[in-house]
Amino acid sequence: MDGVNSRVIAEPALMVRGLSKSFGRKVVENLDLTIRPGEFYALLGPNGAGKTTTLRMVAGLTRPDAGSISVYGRDVLANPLGAKQIMAWVPDEPLLYDKLSPLEYLEFIAGLWRVEPKTARARADELLETLGLWPHRHERCEGFSRGMKQKTVLAGALIHKPQFLLLDEPLTGLDAAASRLVKELLRAETAKGAAIILTTHILEVAERLATRIGILSGGTLLAEGNLAALQAQAGLEHGTLEDVFLHLTTAQ
Amino acid sequence: MLAAPGFPWLLRHELRVLWRNSILVRTHRHVVVPVLVVALLFQGVALLLAHQIVLFLARQQVAHAIALPTALLAANINLAFLFILMFSRAITASIDVIYGRGDADFLLASPIPPGRVLAVRMLGVACSIAAPWLLLGGVLGNGLAAYGQYWGLSVYPMFFAEALLVAALAFAFVVALLRVVSPQAARRAGHSLALATGIGIFILGQAPRFVPQPVVARFWASLLPGPHGGGVAFLFARGLLGQPAALAASLAFALAGFCAVWIFLARPFADGVITAAASRPRGRATAQAGRFRASPFAAALAKDLRLIARFPGIFTQIVYRSLTLVPVAFILTGKFHMAGGMSAAVPLIVFLAGQLGLFFISVLAGGETIPELAASAPVPQTMPRQAAMAASVYATLFILALPLLAMLARAPRLVPALAAGITGVLLSNVLLGQRMPIPLVRAGFGKTSTGTAAGLILGVAVSTIWSFFIWLVVAPHPLLWLRPGG
Repeated sequence: MDGVNSRVIAEPALMVRGLSKSFGRKVVENLDLTIRPGEFYALLGPNGAGKTTTLRMVAGLTRPDAGSISVYGRDVLANPLGAKQIMAWVPDEPLLYDKLSPLEYLEFIAGLWRVEPKTARARADELLETLGLWPHRHERCEGFSRGMKQKTVLAGALIHKPQFLLLDEPLTGLDAAASRLVKELLRAETAKGAAIILTTHILEVAERLATRIGILSGGTLLAEGNLAALQAQAGLEHGTLEDVFLHLTTAQ
Repeated sequence: MLAAPGFPWLLRHELRVLWRNSILVRTHRHVVVPVLVVALLFQGVALLLAHQIVLFLARQQVAHAIALPTALLAANINLAFLFILMFSRAITASIDVIYGRGDADFLLASPIPPGRVLAVRMLGVACSIAAPWLLLGGVLGNGLAAYGQYWGLSVYPMFFAEALLVAALAFAFVVALLRVVSPQAARRAGHSLALATGIGIFILGQAPRFVPQPVVARFWASLLPGPHGGGVAFLFARGLLGQPAALAASLAFALAGFCAVWIFLARPFADGVITAAASRPRGRATAQAGRFRASPFAAALAKDLRLIARFPGIFTQIVYRSLTLVPVAFILTGKFHMAGGMSAAVPLIVFLAGQLGLFFISVLAGGETIPELAASAPVPQTMPRQAAMAASVYATLFILALPLLAMLARAPRLVPALAAGITGVLLSNVLLGQRMPIPLVRAGFGKTSTGTAAGLILGVAVSTIWSFFIWLVVAPHPLLWLRPGG
């Protein structure tokens, strides 16, 4: 296990090279992306920019037309199961069975990731407590609000302690308190060494949480870096992230 | 072009939505040709049936069926059964158009008068519940007309009149129900009524086996119309048999009922929709201790069994399919003797196994709303499918456990053939159902379950072929029943 961990830390969390995908038209084109362990990376872009397709290809759900993807050195295309073992994917629509309770849902996810039952139970209890779902752990999810569903899905993503999290609009539908809770939880994960890539349309979230931001448009990475680097690339020294984003994406 | 947002325009929209949400077109874009083929097939069979009716009338030496009290009674019984069947379907359809589809409150928020929305919805329900019966009854009516018995065509206006009345009553019932219970509970009431109807019809069909023949004869005789045609109680029956005055009176009565409900229901309807739209199912508590499993297959199997057990209407669906067990029970307990003895129960059990397997796999295949979750997990792609198949087989064998044990006790020599038949039919149908799940009731409010009519037809065919094959294996003289007097 130690050997695995040391290798995991030595490798980039995500390395994408020359990634391309088209569905009749080019959706992602020759994309290069590198994310380090412990890094919080926000992928921004207008609707149809290719953010979700990129995340799906990294998660092993969509096969790229060209390019390579490796997660902590594990080739997603050649060894998808090995790569998935250390990843978690949270899409914009909650992946939830309405007829299962949160505890049953976590039981299912833990089984899929082969988490040892005792460890899984303890981790499930901890996550349900942290996310405020403990009183509802035996209730079926069909009656849950959007925010509760999103929190349950997040608990599912974290139960196997992934080294790399792919989050597609994870804060959609959350109220202020839940949103803060999730943000803190994600920060704690990066502090423990996990890498996160997140897509969002809420620029304030990217600005506050991300260590680096990438701006994608038309399937191409237009700019990348922290806010200062993005301002420099856009030529807007004192501009907000919104100014920079709009400048780059509309100019393109 | 129909002017928006007038009544015809709104009705066209409603019928279009209902049509696209119907079983026929839910998963297939090209349905007109198969529907026409099936309709032609039905028409062919109906022509043969109509010919028999014409011959029967000739033998009775009556020019018109209405002259026969038994014909009037048969028409009335058919209309009564149809009423109950339509009513149970109309309840679920009404709940769907009020709440399930989720667009009623949207329409009521528009400047269209609520009364118009209500009338269109009620007409839409009437059309949707009348359609299958118009198809079935219509082909017989056409067949009779082809032999010069034009009164047969009255099936069209009469079935539609009945549907109008039923839709209005169901709407009134549902709106009243929605004021006191949740849409889910109201939907359950509809399912329960349908179940009770199915069981009632089945028991009635079996009655001659338990009730002495003179009692049955007396019962039917008491239902026959008197010398004057039975009065108002037989109004619809006379209409169905084509008597012009009764037909007009029936239509007027149905239309009046429809309008009365429409007039008195407009306001409560709007209130009911708003109440229903605000209702959200309470997360029902489940007694689950959290038994975490080490293997992905065990976790997926546990999840699939839970999804089967919590499928809406699971009880009614299983009971419907398990009615085959009633004759099996009679045969195994020796209450009913037929050619082939105990071996007659074997094909029945095989058929039931095929139908249950197909149903359970369809629940899982059609209800798998998030396949991407397992796809993102570090498990082989085939594992979720294998778990679903295992869960379907397990659920089927769980239901069949008792008849299997009874067979083991009563006729152990038949068990190997039975086991082979069950294995074969289950494997065939779970593989088929995974690719072509049968259409089921919606998996949840606002969600359309997948499924194809072709899967249903093929599944029944597979079950039939397997049970016939097993019958050939186990029966001492399998084709004896084909011989006259056999």
